Amino acid sequence: MGLTEDRERFREVGEERREDLSEFISHGDLGGSGPDRVRIPVKIVDLPEFEYDRREAGGVGQGQGGQSQPGQPVEPEPGDEEGDPGEEGGKHEYYEMDPEEFARELDEELGLDLEPKGKRVVEETEGDFTDTARSGPRGTLDVDEFFKRGLKRHLATDFDEAYVREGLRVAGADVDDAFAWARDQGIPVSRAWIADAAATAVDEHGGPVEALDRWESFDELDEEVDREPATHRIRREGLDSVPFRREDERFRHPEVIEKRERNVVVVNVRDASGSMRETKRELVERVFTPMDWYLTGKYDAAEFRYVVHDAEAWEVDREEFFGIQSGGGTKISSAYELVAEILEAYPYDEWNRYVFAAGDSENAGRDTTESVIPLMESIDANLHAYVETQPGGAAANARHADEVEDALGDADDVAVARVSEPDDVTDAIYEILSTEAEGGGATAGEAARERTDGGERR
Amino acid sequence: MRDERVEAKREAASLDEPATEARDLAERLGLEPYPVRYWVVDHDEMNELIAYGGFQRRYPHWRWGMNYERQRKKDRHGLGKAFEIVNNDDPSHAFLQESNAPADQKAVITHVEAHADFFANNRWFGLYADRGEGGPNAAARLERNADRIAAIADRSGVDRDVVERLIDAVSALEDTIDQHSPVDAARSVEGPGIAEDVSDADGDALAAIEDRIADLDLTEEVRRDVFDDEWLEARGEGVEPEEPRPDVLAFLRDHGKRYDPDSGKAVDREPWETTVIDALREEAYYFAGQKQTKVLNEGWATYWESVMMGGEGFAGPDEFLTYADHMSRVLGSPGLNPYKLGFELWTHVELRAARRDVIDRLLRVEGVTPENFHSEIDLDEVANALEPHPAIAGAGPATLDELVDLAADGDPRVDAEAVDRALSARDGERPATDGDGETAPDAGPDVERYPWKLLTREGLAERHYVLSRPEHRSALRNVSRETLAERARYMFDVDRYATVEEALDDVNRAAGWDRMLEVRESHNDVTFIDAFLTDEFVREGNYFTYEYSRATEQHRVASVDADDVRKKLLLRFTNFGKPTVVVLDGNFRNRGELLLGHRYNGVALDEAAAKETLKRVFELWGRPVNLATVRVEYSEEALRRAKRRGTEPEGEEVGVRFQYDGGEVTEHDLDPEIRERIAADEIDYDTKPDDWLA
Repeated sequence: MGLTEDRERFREVGEERREDLSEFISHGDLGGSGPDRVRIPVKIVDLPEFEYDRREAGGVGQGQGGQSQPGQPVEPEPGDEEGDPGEEGGKHEYYEMDPEEFARELDEELGLDLEPKGKRVVEETEGDFTDTARSGPRGTLDVDEFFKRGLKRHLATDFDEAYVREGLRVAGADVDDAFAWARDQGIPVSRAWIADAAATAVDEHGGPVEALDRWESFDELDEEVDREPATHRIRREGLDSVPFRREDERFRHPEVIEKRERNVVVVNVRDASGSMRETKRELVERVFTPMDWYLTGKYDAAEFRYVVHDAEAWEVDREEFFGIQSGGGTKISSAYELVAEILEAYPYDEWNRYVFAAGDSENAGRDTTESVIPLMESIDANLHAYVETQPGGAAANARHADEVEDALGDADDVAVARVSEPDDVTDAIYEILSTEAEGGGATAGEAARERTDGGERR
Repeated sequence: MRDERVEAKREAASLDEPATEARDLAERLGLEPYPVRYWVVDHDEMNELIAYGGFQRRYPHWRWGMNYERQRKKDRHGLGKAFEIVNNDDPSHAFLQESNAPADQKAVITHVEAHADFFANNRWFGLYADRGEGGPNAAARLERNADRIAAIADRSGVDRDVVERLIDAVSALEDTIDQHSPVDAARSVEGPGIAEDVSDADGDALAAIEDRIADLDLTEEVRRDVFDDEWLEARGEGVEPEEPRPDVLAFLRDHGKRYDPDSGKAVDREPWETTVIDALREEAYYFAGQKQTKVLNEGWATYWESVMMGGEGFAGPDEFLTYADHMSRVLGSPGLNPYKLGFELWTHVELRAARRDVIDRLLRVEGVTPENFHSEIDLDEVANALEPHPAIAGAGPATLDELVDLAADGDPRVDAEAVDRALSARDGERPATDGDGETAPDAGPDVERYPWKLLTREGLAERHYVLSRPEHRSALRNVSRETLAERARYMFDVDRYATVEEALDDVNRAAGWDRMLEVRESHNDVTFIDAFLTDEFVREGNYFTYEYSRATEQHRVASVDADDVRKKLLLRFTNFGKPTVVVLDGNFRNRGELLLGHRYNGVALDEAAAKETLKRVFELWGRPVNLATVRVEYSEEALRRAKRRGTEPEGEEVGVRFQYDGGEVTEHDLDPEIRERIAADEIDYDTKPDDWLA
């Protein structure tokens, strides 16, 4: 009742009226969002009203430390009237979603289906006491198991002694004959035991063992006398003793459960050379930013590294990444060298890795084929992507995307996308994010593991 | 409110004394506040109260949820912590933030007392509040609306979304009321006691109204007087107001219908719909008082807060720094800050009134003329003579004996009774009147902490006399000869005083405060700024206007002229800073269409917002709706020429009519006759100089 309901309703209304996600990604203001909060403008969730055109209305300002001169530029202060009770605030609202929701929505909107894999073991917890070992504290001795093993051993060595003694009463059979017959019957008896039994019988009857004849032959014995299995006998006579032996001891200990974190490192690479003008830079931002959110939302832990390059490459913070423009030429391989270096800190068997590069496809000489492609092949990653931002189509000499596509286009861990205007952005994002997904999480993962198992390349 | 929480309770108890003492001080200073109930709330409750506009319960609507989220975000990021929120009601309810430091709480209480005085005495609040016995009764009214609308939304036959949509539509128009008239000026269909929102089976609204009037059991005389045929007629169809009607909401409430998408026709509203519209309109009137007196009211509260806290040491010496910091944050926030603008204007009002009082007296001194004023009068001497009496200025335990002497002479500046009690308490005497010894000895007023208890308003006025404050000591010297001449013109009895001393003896130290009390009764922000924003004020504050320059695609300073600044400020405060939109015709084109007119004053509408709003109007009218306005168009040629010359392009004002009939908003040429009717030529708010940027 009351506020809770009003808040819920606001959320619903906000969701209904927020900008469509594709629209937001392609044309909306991405600037209001932070790495952990995606803010999507809501189309007039605030109620409309008759109001002045803000430009036409002008305003009043107060000069700081002196009289202002007509003609001097000023920044109107948007927050002037805000923030007092009983008043409605600013003009538009944002629908806020966390990256998880963003990723879900984007999955839905673009039909993506990326299943992140757990990699790094972050935790080993003790599960149930279901594993066993041959040594351990007495208290953890698995008594059941110990007894069972003892019993098994007992059963294995137990045999129908009377039956074996009958073997000695076969006409003409000596100790060796009886032993051979018994072993033939699968009776776990030793020759020494038979010899012992023969000696006893001789003592009792006072004649050589060969003379104790009750049966014509072994065959007759087999026919006339049934051997009693050990189990029957134990049931009948009870268990006199079980032979406990040290080797039968089993100690319980807890099972180790490995929790693997679905963690990801994303390296965003951008060409900052002179040819990358404002519109190109904006296109890069439009492609990269939602992908960052998406991967943040998909993975348990995400780290982002930002590399810009002209003829050389250097690492920057996110805040600088999209804005930097340098004057120099272009050598894309410089960036991949730095990427390889950065990724050393993120072993591939512990991290999912994405390398997203963007630029206008211009590159120095044969850098792409001679250096970049081999580097891309050598850097293990779930996905390598190159985004060509070329408003108005690619220039003739801008061949990087084509060359990468020709060389690696068939690989399921390489994607090339081309963006010439904001409307292409969502397609590019789909192209990139579905590449790995189509490759099939399991196979890509398997392949990766084989490769790493086969020995580190570096 | 969860006032049973231990923490809150403890805090509230510790505020009893400051609240009582602040009330005493406020009244001694001449304020007449409504009673105030103080509540202590935690920050989440505070956010909720702010979301609800100062009340604990409002009708169900997503907008409150939005306000709350916003406020919570602000609160979390430390932008705009709210110290208090107070609603204008009798009694007023003030909610104080639990986490405020003791000095903040005291400051807030003094601030609130001044607001409560403003609510009780300002006539613009009276438009809502003065409704007979019950007074404003705002909390109860808003709560009743909350219950009613919630009940409507819960009805089985009513779709909750439809109710919300209706609230959306009415809220979009909440500023298109006649805020200069009492809330009940436009009689509602409901009339007295007909608040029921039950559906009428017979469906004949007019007959239903007549029945209800009959039920009221009025005398025929009253009946004819109040509910005459014309009034009844006005409930019917196709109303053509002869005069434009500023209360658009009332007009829609009384004559609007509902569009039925199934039949494609306008149908009569369900009674509950009218109930909702009427309830929201009434609330709009409640908030209108606040909205049109923002600068005035906040400035007023800030002024008295500073007198009480700073001037009268309501903050203890140990709390003063916290208070000073609090105040500087309130006044120092950037931009055009209503607290600061209001505070400065009020001080200006006080200063001018006090100065005028002194000038008037000095100009009556034998031999003094506007021409020789500055040379004839020793203004340093005047300044010294105007210094408060030392015993008054330093009133307290140390000056008690002196005050006793003054009281003995019947000095009106001294509260003789309080002085007497203080003296008795100090000397350990029992009150003389109690012979039987049963009464405990009178501790007397705590003059150590509250020295003002020894003084009357007159005494306090002398203690705080504006012309003896250091920052205003040069005010008399700076007065111009023109001002003096102007004052002298209105003076008849010019030679009354023989000497300057004699004249100064007559000076009314409360002249500033008296004037302030008058102003707080009758003014709103528009009249306040219009009357008191002087050239001097604009110059000293370095105020300027800015306009958007099409040539440079930037906002640029346009003018530093006081008239321009005043005009621009007025634009911002006139009609809540919104364009004025009125009903021109309820039977436009003889088809029952509604024609609204934007009174064009040189500033065009935000067309996108206007079109959206028009769609909401349609929901309340049920038939096609029109909006007449004027916009500025720039021809290709004008743009080219301006570019060539590096000047601002010259636009052409073109009349336009937007129409909405449920499909798309369409644009039409505006009939010149209507164009004529919407022109508001009294003031042109454009402050661009002719040769701007040339």
